[in-house]
Amino acid sequence: MILAVLFANAEGNILIERFHGVPAEERLHWRSFLVKLGADNLKGVKNEELLVACHKSVYIVYTILGDVSIYVVGKDEYDELALSEVIFTITSAVKDVCGKPPTERRFLDKYGRICLCLDEIVWKGYLENTEKERIKRLIRLKPPTEF
Amino acid sequence: MAQQLVKKDDDRDDEAEYSPFMGIEKGAVLQEARVFNDPQLDARRCSQVITKLLYLLNQGETFTKTEATEVFFAVTKLFQSRDMGLRRMVYLMIKEISPSADEVIIVTSSLMKDMNSKIDMYRANAIRVLCRITDGTLLAQIERYLKQAIVDKNPVVASAALVSGIHLLQTNPEIVKRWSNEVQEAVQSRAALVQFHALGLLHQIRQNDRLAVSKLVTSLTKGTVRSPLAQCLLIRYTSQVIRESGNNTQSGDRPFYDYLESCLRHKSEMVIFEAARAITELNGVTSRELTPAITVLQLFLSSSKPVLRFAAVRTLNKVAMTHPTSVTNCNIDMESLISDQNRSIATLAITTLLKTGNESSVDRLMKQITNFMSDIADEFKIVVVEAIRSLCQKFPLKYRSLMNFLSNILREEGGFEYKKAIVDSIVILIREIPDAKETGLLHLCEFIEDCEFTYLSTQILHFLGIEGPKTSDPSRYIRFIYNRVHLENATVRAGAVSTLAKFGAAVDELKPRIFVLLRRCLFDSDDEVRDRATLYLNTLGGDGSVVETDKAVKDFLFGPFDIPLVNLETSLKNYEPSEEAFDIDSVPKEVKSQSLAEKKAPGKKPTGLGAPPSGPPSTADAYQKILSSIPEFANFGNLFKSSAPVELTEAETEYAVNVVKHIFDRHVVFQYNCTNTIPEQLLENVIVIVDSSEADEFAEVFSKPLKSLPYDSPGQIFVAFEKPEGAPTLGKFSNVLKFIVREVDPTTGEAEDDGVEDEYQLEDLEIVSADYTLKVAVSNFRNAWESMGPDCERVDEYGLGPRESLAEAVNTVINLLGLQPCEGTEVVPPNSRSHTCLLSGVYIGNVKVLVRLSFGLDGPKDVAMKLTVRSDDETVSDAIHEIVASG
Repeated sequence: MILAVLFANAEGNILIERFHGVPAEERLHWRSFLVKLGADNLKGVKNEELLVACHKSVYIVYTILGDVSIYVVGKDEYDELALSEVIFTITSAVKDVCGKPPTERRFLDKYGRICLCLDEIVWKGYLENTEKERIKRLIRLKPPTEF
Repeated sequence: MAQQLVKKDDDRDDEAEYSPFMGIEKGAVLQEARVFNDPQLDARRCSQVITKLLYLLNQGETFTKTEATEVFFAVTKLFQSRDMGLRRMVYLMIKEISPSADEVIIVTSSLMKDMNSKIDMYRANAIRVLCRITDGTLLAQIERYLKQAIVDKNPVVASAALVSGIHLLQTNPEIVKRWSNEVQEAVQSRAALVQFHALGLLHQIRQNDRLAVSKLVTSLTKGTVRSPLAQCLLIRYTSQVIRESGNNTQSGDRPFYDYLESCLRHKSEMVIFEAARAITELNGVTSRELTPAITVLQLFLSSSKPVLRFAAVRTLNKVAMTHPTSVTNCNIDMESLISDQNRSIATLAITTLLKTGNESSVDRLMKQITNFMSDIADEFKIVVVEAIRSLCQKFPLKYRSLMNFLSNILREEGGFEYKKAIVDSIVILIREIPDAKETGLLHLCEFIEDCEFTYLSTQILHFLGIEGPKTSDPSRYIRFIYNRVHLENATVRAGAVSTLAKFGAAVDELKPRIFVLLRRCLFDSDDEVRDRATLYLNTLGGDGSVVETDKAVKDFLFGPFDIPLVNLETSLKNYEPSEEAFDIDSVPKEVKSQSLAEKKAPGKKPTGLGAPPSGPPSTADAYQKILSSIPEFANFGNLFKSSAPVELTEAETEYAVNVVKHIFDRHVVFQYNCTNTIPEQLLENVIVIVDSSEADEFAEVFSKPLKSLPYDSPGQIFVAFEKPEGAPTLGKFSNVLKFIVREVDPTTGEAEDDGVEDEYQLEDLEIVSADYTLKVAVSNFRNAWESMGPDCERVDEYGLGPRESLAEAVNTVINLLGLQPCEGTEVVPPNSRSHTCLLSGVYIGNVKVLVRLSFGLDGPKDVAMKLTVRSDDETVSDAIHEIVASG
């Protein structure tokens, strides 16, 4: 299960968050934990360089893309490698929508599109789509090219 | 929790910096949402409003029920638009807003229409939305379409239906299970993702059917799996099948190992890693099987991708716990990871190295770790400290450098948990390595000179009080302890006073000087500190001359406190202030039976300060004390054995009763521990009526009833039987609890005057052979065996019949005999076909017994056993055989 996907800006404010199977009372804890993790480790990290951490049986893979930091949390079958697949899909889709690693402004400009991409990539805690070209078509309600 | 965007500084007043959502406000957006109702829909505008609504929801903004309903109704109007982009947004919005059950109906028909649409993408999205908001009844209506969708030519439609199936399986399993044929077909799909989703769903549908999973794995491992993600799933299911199939096949090969091994050459890293990990986690994996997996993991250690490095080092770290030598080859790569930017990777590398390193590499490693410690977080430091502790236990000769390291990090900044981990480690090393004691104690002394944690200071003071007096020069610690009396808070001061007194009591030469210090504490500002000082001065021998402290006084002051604090607390709460003083002897000493949760908790080895060596007395001592306090048992002689408590009632019944069997040479005493769990009842004259008609050779000689059994305050009843001297007499006893019950008013706590007689049936109880043997370990079995000699040896062979496994057979025999397994021989390596188990113990009459059990598998499941017994008395050797023969 992919427990959470979270986007935050440089100040650590949440831009988008999606939780799956995480009780509401634990979300605040996760939110602040992830933001702190990013603040401690993401300084000076190159775009899309993946960082990884684990806490008990839960894995976290996170990275930075332009002004935005992205966190993915998973457990069981979504271990660090599966999550890196998920985050890779997310970063490629975001780059695709924004044209390049986004500034915060650009990210917010493309907010609706990014929400749609996310909706195609993660479906209630499961990875659904992995290719950016396909996602790009799907959010416009176009069938995938290989079909 | 709304996270407002931070307002930007004025000097960065560049338009590009402004958020498009700056100043966004829920009320205004809801107003804007009215455009959804326009007869001429502006698709672009509507999309923008939906984006704003999404933004609000993502910021944690909540809509009231009315607001949500309004938005939902308005959004459903947008189904009229033919704009694709807007339609996609509408699907997302409906999912986000998750309408309530009574509203769903509004949108169902539109979605059903989309589900049958010619436009594939409408179908896919409509399925996803419907499955998100649907309930069981609607699902039955759309099931036909979903089944079709699973085998749809368009992979997006198929995936949408499959992933929906995965979710629906949680809520409507019986419906989804009917799709198994379609899902099976989808597993063969050419589209990689469809295959992945289908495999996941198929496995979930069949997960309780081992045979079906095994068939699935067998067929897929032979075929081709396109998606690396699906391949990973398949590897996981394969390891599950291997785990469940248990032993090797007859030829000794592990089924599916070749498949796992072939995955190590896959082109996707994810698959390679998954296979490597699956191999390392195989039950009883051999070094030969491990080698190829370790090799690929070693390559990953130097990968440029942090995720791969992390995955590899995490797996190797686990392997190092069971097969340290197999990981040694990776040590060089691992050492370079100590400086990895990612601290999680560095910590895992260090702890792995600490497990695989040999004695000669310790010093070099410690040097590297010292540099590393300064820039990691406390939680990582704790892991390192724990690894160093076990390293020191492994190589005691290296204690100097390890202790030095611990004392250095103790001086640096750190939080409570970290400091506690260090202190615990030092304490353990002091206890286990005698040479490390004096330096260790001095390190601890130095630490409390500047320690901000009261808990740690008091624990260290307590430990100093136990260990300090036993050192060559106890006086050197006094200064550190007495400084606490001047510099610390009241809790630490009180602890310091007790520690000083312990030195005074234990070291006679120090006594006069300790007395001077204790007298100064009489003027302390805190009551507790003054009280302690007064108590110690008065009991330790008044004038403080160099005299030996009376043993009774020592026991009183520092001896173990053998009353469970819980019981003391309950008794004190029940005590009503009156003329009669509280009598500590009235407090029951029986430890209340543990709650279920506690029982389930795995037994932890006591570590660190938590368990001082002079802890509470062992249960055997406690039983001996209780029994000796009852005059009728005085002439029973020495207690041979007390069994573990046997529960005679089910959990959570009105009365909880368990029994401990005390075995004497000519007697058996049953100690019934009773707890009344009903607050509205007071039980009186509680007795156990024991029927021994199935235990002919036992004769009841005495019964000690319980006068009263109030709520939640355990009490004991004893019943004693006489039996033939020294003989391992067996028997079965049935028990009934009889009492007079008086109703208690829960508000006042007063009991009614009149009571009613009642009884309560308890489970039966048996005296078995294992009750006559005592588990006593020998340090070197071989020596003990040789020195015992073959004079009274008895050998025989037994067929144990078909057994679940060799391990199960070994366990049964150990439990039957009630003897102590030696040298870890109770553990049967997986897949072995023969095993030797060594047992030692004492048989009733204090006769030493050694047993050698040789097990062998005879045919597929039949177990044969050769039993060799040596003892000082041949009748005892025969008796042990008799136990096995009749068991």
